[in-house]
Amino acid sequence: MVDPQATKRLRWLISGAVLWAAIIAGRLVHLQIFQHAELKAVARQQQTRTEEIQAARGAISDRNGQMLAISMPVDSVHINPLRIPDLTVAADILSPVLSLDRSVLLDRMRKAVSRRTGFLWVKRKVTPAESARLRALKLDWIGFQKESRRFYPNGTLAAHVLGGVGMVRKEDTQERGNAGIEMALDEELRGTNGKLILLTDVTRQAFAIDDEVKPLPGVNLTLSLDSRIQYLAERELARAVASSRARTGSVVVMDPRTGEILALASYPAYDPNEPPAPGENPVARHNVPVSYASEPGSVFKAFTIAAALETTRLRPESILNCGNGTIQLFGRTIHDHHAYAALSMADVLAKSSNVGVIRVGLAVGEQRLHEYVSRFGFGQASGLPLPAESAGILRPTRKWGRTSIGSIAMGHEVSTTTVQLARACSAIANGGTLVKPRLVLKREKPGSAPEFTASGAGEQILQPETAITMRQMMERVVLSGTGKAATLRGYTSGGKTGSAQIFDLATKKYTHTYNASFMGFAPVTNPAIVVVVTLNGTSGGSAGFGGAVAAPVFREVASGALRILDTPKDIPIELSQAPVKEVAKADLNDLPLAEISRGVDAESPGETAVSSVTQPPVRPEEGASAPAAGPDRRIFSETAGPRVPDFQGMTMRSVLEVASARGVAVEMSGNGLVRAQDPPPGSALSPGRAVRILLSR
Amino acid sequence: MAQRLKTDWILLSTVVAMVSLGLVVMFSASSLIGQVKFQSSTYFLMRQLGWAVIGLAALMYFKKRDFRTMQTPAWAFASLGVVLALLVAVYFLDQRAHRWIRFAGFSLQPSELAKPALAIFLAYFISLRARAINSRHTLLPAALAVVMLTFMVVVADLGTAIVLLLTAVIVFFVAGLEPRYFALAAAAALLFGGIAVISKPYRLGRVLAYVDPEHHLLSKVDPEGRLKKYLRKASSVRDPGYQARQSKIAVGTGGVIGVGLMQGKQKLLYLPEAHTDFIYAVVGEELGLLGSAALLAGFLVILWRGMRLFWTVPDEFGRYLALGITTVVVVQALINMSVVLDLAPTKGIPLPMISSGGSSLLSTLMSLGMLLSISEHAG
Repeated sequence: MVDPQATKRLRWLISGAVLWAAIIAGRLVHLQIFQHAELKAVARQQQTRTEEIQAARGAISDRNGQMLAISMPVDSVHINPLRIPDLTVAADILSPVLSLDRSVLLDRMRKAVSRRTGFLWVKRKVTPAESARLRALKLDWIGFQKESRRFYPNGTLAAHVLGGVGMVRKEDTQERGNAGIEMALDEELRGTNGKLILLTDVTRQAFAIDDEVKPLPGVNLTLSLDSRIQYLAERELARAVASSRARTGSVVVMDPRTGEILALASYPAYDPNEPPAPGENPVARHNVPVSYASEPGSVFKAFTIAAALETTRLRPESILNCGNGTIQLFGRTIHDHHAYAALSMADVLAKSSNVGVIRVGLAVGEQRLHEYVSRFGFGQASGLPLPAESAGILRPTRKWGRTSIGSIAMGHEVSTTTVQLARACSAIANGGTLVKPRLVLKREKPGSAPEFTASGAGEQILQPETAITMRQMMERVVLSGTGKAATLRGYTSGGKTGSAQIFDLATKKYTHTYNASFMGFAPVTNPAIVVVVTLNGTSGGSAGFGGAVAAPVFREVASGALRILDTPKDIPIELSQAPVKEVAKADLNDLPLAEISRGVDAESPGETAVSSVTQPPVRPEEGASAPAAGPDRRIFSETAGPRVPDFQGMTMRSVLEVASARGVAVEMSGNGLVRAQDPPPGSALSPGRAVRILLSR
Repeated sequence: MAQRLKTDWILLSTVVAMVSLGLVVMFSASSLIGQVKFQSSTYFLMRQLGWAVIGLAALMYFKKRDFRTMQTPAWAFASLGVVLALLVAVYFLDQRAHRWIRFAGFSLQPSELAKPALAIFLAYFISLRARAINSRHTLLPAALAVVMLTFMVVVADLGTAIVLLLTAVIVFFVAGLEPRYFALAAAAALLFGGIAVISKPYRLGRVLAYVDPEHHLLSKVDPEGRLKKYLRKASSVRDPGYQARQSKIAVGTGGVIGVGLMQGKQKLLYLPEAHTDFIYAVVGEELGLLGSAALLAGFLVILWRGMRLFWTVPDEFGRYLALGITTVVVVQALINMSVVLDLAPTKGIPLPMISSGGSSLLSTLMSLGMLLSISEHAG
């Protein structure tokens, strides 16, 4: 019945259909087996979106836990342009709330839509008010991401140490440190960002979390700075700069025993919360004590003399010919500010005689002077974790001129930073060890035990005896030399002034502006702090000298710092010289020889609460219950010892404070509060006697 | 009276299995788009379920009814006439796509109903004039009817028109039409097809995306870029190669066993038309090679059960009706799968019984009911 031709044709057709099906099956195998991995990867790539979760930047605090830099969570706003029903309406909504340019925003959104990008940052780090207003709109195409904003709660305080954060490189998606500790320790502070892999639909809207890598917060740093001392140093520096009309200035406060930097002040100041603004003084963001090296001038004489004590037979009392204020050195004539015929080496330092110190330098010799200067750490960066630290300049001896030895002996032809001076001075203060300056005390990685920064053994660069002798000589600078303005109440102190004329590189001449400096420590027997003050570019003749402008900064900073650090007073307040408020202008670089009558060997440590070196003249304070005024000002007379204070009801701690302040020895027994004392309050205490005190609960 | 054969259980169970699988996959593919467009993830499922019930009822009706009762001019011409009338009506009723007639919440696609109508018409015509198939008097009216139907469909739905034309060609070829007529038809088809493609930018874009995806050829033929400008007028801004790419990604992701039912990600609007023309890609992603090959095998079972009748059925009308119906279903399936697997340019052809779409499901189940009737009532 069936047409054989028709069945034949149909067979052909069926074979064709089966072949077609076979091709389809082959294609299935090709796609699903051979291209499976590749296509799966493409699918994953288009179906997921990776969001970076910023790690919280580590906080920075001072040694007492006071916060110096913290990161606060803020919202950043992003949108999904593919889900916006009407771009112009969206631009109308967003631009006023976030104060953005409407046309720019609209343009960006249109571009994102044409590229089919479902993620667009609208504004990063918005204010809480902006964020709240947007959240209230409850629009599903607006998203918020938590980011952190760096905040420096104390404003300008320690700004140069802390530095700041910002978008430094073009490819930065997140702020990085751009100065200070923030820059030097950026890697540690920033932590490790986490990742959020989100599954998205075709509009790039995330609907589920596929995978998450938690961020690792940054390390919390505890600095050696003490905010209170830092504040004090900055305040006093600003005052001094203003009064001396200096361009820049710096103060470094260091614990000489550990090298811990307690304060590092730089002037001019700036607020790290504010990004650099056009027209702002670019120097404001420079860290002067670390990055600026200049000729130290006379403060450097201390190191020349320290070298002489170790390498020559010169002693503090050795008399040096000061040539009536003039010395000829290979055809160059060098003058003193004041002419002396001869001075002991101690007085060369105290009076800051150029001629005298050149003689000392010549006695030391080029090689040994260079060796000692480099032993003190000059010409090398101190290794603070701060960017752009200057190593200063110390040329090798082969590059020295014939008169270089003279220049270097008095602090010229070398350049140093304030931090280097503080470090070198610490070696004198701590008994001869060159410590490594420390700024970071502790690193706390969240989730693990805090890691304390090792102080690192310093290098012994001076004999301990040399250091002691130097301290005694430097105390005389304060007591009777150029540094009288550095006298402290209740503490002995030592130091050295400096006033280096600034060399103008353009005219190759020394100008009439000065680098005024003071480098000192206190208390003398066991210094708890080293303070170095430098004011660059002071003018006004001798009024801009170190003794006039830098020493008072030392006085204020050091006495404040010692009080803050609870350092026991080493002389009674009644015994101390009243701080020198004003220094006669003519009195800066020299004093009549007649006044320097006491030797340097008069130290009498056996006495309680007396100056470690000499008995300074006593100036009773006005209105104070001072010993009877009279021609005899000696304190420890047989009859007129210090008055016994009333200890009744005090705690043991208060007793000790009052007693040490008044210079009264006490013998205590019992616990609790003072119930009885002998001798009674108001009576005079004979020397060598102590007040007996009975405490009970 | 011819003897009554047994029900073709193989075919019936295959069809029921495929419709069931279709409902499950269609739900998986359509839940998100239903949620987005109609706020209901079961929107498409419920409609399809309704159509499946109607379609299966139609299938049982036609299965029970002796197919020979349709061998009348009334069935052959009336069904064709009704479809043509509906096609004209839809041109004016659906101003946008000229595709759907909507009533009482339902929408009907007349072009889908053209498929069984054409199968009945061709079978009737050939059984009537089998001896004189090559006579001009026989051919002209038949050709006219086919051309008219095709033309009406082209307006709305080029894909269905291609299926119809291919079916007509295959049925005529088996019936013994001389090759010269095919040459003539081919020339005409090429001309009209070309015009049809060029007249709509999206069609040209689809064809070019397949033939010349990088536009190398295009820039040589048309250095001034006028054609490109024309192409850009296509209403769908998205590049025409996008669908094919996304579809391949979906199928490839599936691997051998698939990512699991309801677990596919490509249907999350990456893959356009995931629940309709590109549902085979969802099958590939979620059920893997096993699922997609099984579905392909299902259509081969229909091919086998349908073509088998050509030899077993003594009745000429039944034989050609079986051929027409089987061709319509299998050709649609093969073209659809080829498109999904990027073996052919994109056309608007659904996968019978699986794709979402009530008219297609109803027309397919109606046709398969007739096929079951042929195996049951012939003999």
